[in-house]
Amino acid sequence: MSDPDAPIVRIEGLCKWYGELEVLKNIDLEVKRGEVVVVIGASGSGKSTLLRCINFLEKTQKGKIYISGKRIKHNEKELNKTRQELGMVFQHFNLFPHMTVAGNVMEGLVQVKKMPKDKARKKAEVLLERVGLLEKADVYPAMLSGGQKQRVAIARALAMEPKVMLFDEPTSALDPELVGEVLTVMTKLAKEGMTMLVVTHEMWFAKEVADRVIFMDDGIILEEATPEKMFSAPENERTLAFLKQILPPSSEE
Amino acid sequence: MDIIPWDLSIIPQKFFLFASAATYTLQITFFGILMGLLIGLVVALGRLSEKKFLSSISRAYIFLIRGTPLLVQLFIVYYGLTSIVTIDPIPSAVIALGVHNGAYIAEIFRGSIQSIHYGQMEAARSIGMTHAKAMRRIILPQAFKRAVPSLGNQLIIALKDSSLASTIAVPELMLKGRQMGSSTFMYMEMFIIVGIWYLIMTSVLSFVMHRIEERLKVSDRD
Repeated sequence: MSDPDAPIVRIEGLCKWYGELEVLKNIDLEVKRGEVVVVIGASGSGKSTLLRCINFLEKTQKGKIYISGKRIKHNEKELNKTRQELGMVFQHFNLFPHMTVAGNVMEGLVQVKKMPKDKARKKAEVLLERVGLLEKADVYPAMLSGGQKQRVAIARALAMEPKVMLFDEPTSALDPELVGEVLTVMTKLAKEGMTMLVVTHEMWFAKEVADRVIFMDDGIILEEATPEKMFSAPENERTLAFLKQILPPSSEE
Repeated sequence: MDIIPWDLSIIPQKFFLFASAATYTLQITFFGILMGLLIGLVVALGRLSEKKFLSSISRAYIFLIRGTPLLVQLFIVYYGLTSIVTIDPIPSAVIALGVHNGAYIAEIFRGSIQSIHYGQMEAARSIGMTHAKAMRRIILPQAFKRAVPSLGNQLIIALKDSSLASTIAVPELMLKGRQMGSSTFMYMEMFIIVGIWYLIMTSVLSFVMHRIEERLKVSDRD
């Protein structure tokens, strides 16, 4: 059923409405194994919705979603399994405030994967080490900075050993000085070969880390290119207008 | 003639004669609230369920129970049901208190569950938890913590409401006060004693609830 050579994520003709409003219009997208795809676009362009549709946090009305070649249907049982393969990192972290940092990372391992607690704890420690927060293992999320919270959230998602990590504006809720530490962790992940689909406004990350950049506008994928091409010579006028707005004028290298 | 027409010195003398009545008050309150918590949790989850049938029954339950006096509910259990089943005074009081508080506690739980940010459910689902497991592991512990102050309030209300059980001959504080009053004609003194007993018990309960709240704050410290 699941084909090792198939793209990790494949979306065909995805449509999504909120009532009358069509937020995703016939989206086709593929993310191959080991690929880092960054989705950019103005707010309201549907990029977060697209990401949330992939693991069915949003219901879609039309279209097909395949994970490793296997068609995912909106069926509770199947979804609970599929979601483990899709690591999700949220804009607002959504850490579990009543559990310690290690508890957050262990939760899925113990409750979903039924791993014994001591083993899960060891695994959590390895992951926290990876995001540089091992010394915070036993504190509660309320004591962490935003950047630290997001790194814990990344560790929590990684714990499930997902096939792909979905990042939904992971740095948008952070103070500017905390953005770097999260992007550093993400860059490291990308270098280690993790398949990633990232919705972000961090153009630096798109430029430096992405294999492919997708520009979304008004519910469609307007342009898709390598970062070099996207940022130096975008084909579409709207892409150009968007990039002009968000990139500082001095950034023409 | 004394300045006041009552013999207040009788209060310390007779005070401890009410101790066993107080244990009945505590007993029916405790079991009533316990039952109320169970009913409240089930009804709150039913009320929030996407299944129309469950949410309708829960809504109807809350509508009926909150809209009628506890005394009516108590009499229905104790007198009304006699044609089908005879229930003793103490279990009747516990059932009426439980059913009554269940409706209020359901609304307390519903409010606190709804106050938990939807991102918590999404995060739980995103690591592969079922809805039920996410509820149990992630939502309810946080919701329960938020419900504690209101539950404490409800517990104190229930303790005082248990005095209605005197009307169906449960030998609790209020009934004891009435009996002692009619046998000594010192109604004022006896009901002051009853009042003091209630005050002591509600004070202890508020203190205990406050301690529980404090203890639950560990994860909030920043």
